[in-house]
Amino acid sequence: MEKSIELLARAGLNVQKTGDERGYRGEVAELENTDVAFISASEIAWYLKTGKAHVGITGEDLIREGISDYKTRIDFIKPLGFGFADVVVAIPDCWLDVRTMADLDEIAEQFRAQHGRWFRVATKYMNLTRTYFSCAGFSDYRIVESLGATEGTPASGTADLIVDITTTGATLRANGLRILDDGVILKSQANLVSSHAATWSPQTRQVLNEIISRLET
Amino acid sequence: MVAETARQFEALEAQAQTLMGVFTAAGHQSVAPAIIQPADVYLDVIGEALRSRSYVFTDAEGEELCLRPDLTVPTCRLHLERGENGDPNGLYCYNGTAFRFQPTGATSAHPREFRQAGIEAFGQEDREKAEAEILALTIEALHKVGLKEWQLHFGDLGLFRAILNSAPMPKRWRNRLLHQFWRPEAFRAELKRLTKAPADKTQTLPEELAKKLVGVEEQEATAIVTKYLEDKNIELIGARTASEIASNMLAILADVNADPLSEKTARLIEGYIEISGPARAAGARLKDLMRDEGVDISKALDAYHRRLQLFSEAGINSSNADFSAEFGRTLEYYSGFVFEIEAPTLGPDSPIAGGGRYDGLLRMCGASEDIPALGAAIHTERLLSVVKSEES
Repeated sequence: MEKSIELLARAGLNVQKTGDERGYRGEVAELENTDVAFISASEIAWYLKTGKAHVGITGEDLIREGISDYKTRIDFIKPLGFGFADVVVAIPDCWLDVRTMADLDEIAEQFRAQHGRWFRVATKYMNLTRTYFSCAGFSDYRIVESLGATEGTPASGTADLIVDITTTGATLRANGLRILDDGVILKSQANLVSSHAATWSPQTRQVLNEIISRLET
Repeated sequence: MVAETARQFEALEAQAQTLMGVFTAAGHQSVAPAIIQPADVYLDVIGEALRSRSYVFTDAEGEELCLRPDLTVPTCRLHLERGENGDPNGLYCYNGTAFRFQPTGATSAHPREFRQAGIEAFGQEDREKAEAEILALTIEALHKVGLKEWQLHFGDLGLFRAILNSAPMPKRWRNRLLHQFWRPEAFRAELKRLTKAPADKTQTLPEELAKKLVGVEEQEATAIVTKYLEDKNIELIGARTASEIASNMLAILADVNADPLSEKTARLIEGYIEISGPARAAGARLKDLMRDEGVDISKALDAYHRRLQLFSEAGINSSNADFSAEFGRTLEYYSGFVFEIEAPTLGPDSPIAGGGRYDGLLRMCGASEDIPALGAAIHTERLLSVVKSEES
């Protein structure tokens, strides 16, 4: 959130909170009739999907995860150059025989025969995981929803592999994990995003154009 | 979605009564399996893809459930619950709602809620006879409600398995090709790899380790892998043991010494996959191909022809029937004969009926072994719309 505010400020758009200090609402001094909502990252996708907001600043990963038909519901207007994170498939580094999704597919059946269950994949990116795995032709797995400390789940035994975000890969390495050679699902960053579901009047359209042109200069 | 009118509701009910009348007259017992099903069985059979295509939810106690995406698995479960103390045989029929999430939005041909009328037959030992009966009964029911024009498409995974078994290759290649059959592109890539350079795969293993593993037994391999991990300071985490990792590496390395798949075998498999056309002509081409490549799959071929013979005895005009070797590639859990019936007005993307053999499904639902099983389901809303448009 701070980075979004900084970026807007550099573009000459000063976001100010309204009401008391803990408020979740704000306004932009330079733009008339504009409300700013400070909400959690996952809620932003929902606001855009349902049209409760016209534009938002959020990670591409959260949009693609939270809105199954995102292509028809929202537009990615502009990548903003911060909030970089890769969504990756990571396996225990000790799996010396596995480097690709195809390798994983090949050992799945054998794993099931040995352990009486499919591979468990811990992630909070259920939709991205399903789509990516299905494109790779890998279907013999089960998802374990994980909302925190995902990288610890293979060591603790909750899961066998994970799909998670990483910036430097250091946390993954510290947890004995390695990214598959073809395991980068998405290179994400913060984006300026607009909603198709919101009601667009000439005035709101004008505000969006103003934001875009200020961000471009 | 447009609400159903009272007239449509009545027409569907009347149609369902006729369909069920045909099924019960043939000895299928009418059942009403539960709409809410444990998600577990479906997740095992279909995989995680279930969640993106069905309504999966968690109840107040945390149990994962789903609205049934079809009535086949529920009928299998019902059969097992009833038959705990005995008879593996069962003939059932049903008419009920199934639910599917339509990611690009529901339409009248692909609604999220629709009524399936169908039949299942469990435990029948005479395979081709049972297949011809299920198909004939489905077509009889379709005719009875007034369908005139239709086309049958069918495939046979048993034939493909017979061809793979007839060709000389390591068992794990066979399994790999069978596993990839569902995905045509990956299948072609795999076939090419096995024909050209099966050893390619070993390049993914750490080189110094691979060298040490050549020609060693599994126990020694495990020790070598364990030492390698220790030397490299890699912690062994997760459920897979060093011996599992080592034994898979040995299997990969075995590909180095294996001869590539022969050109002849590749030609056989490719030749088979290309076969598609009217059922009789396809049968003749199958026979020619096997003769040209010197392969004996007479048992599977006999079954193919016997099935066609039984179709025609049951009054199914074989000029209405197309065989395609690739047909059934996208349908889960089918294990042998598989078919779809389409109406010319709706086309192949919206078949009005479909079914086939799934001998592994009852085991996946909890039976102690594979049980011969097959069935068919009719998409009743589609059927009604086709019959109405034929009338007008």
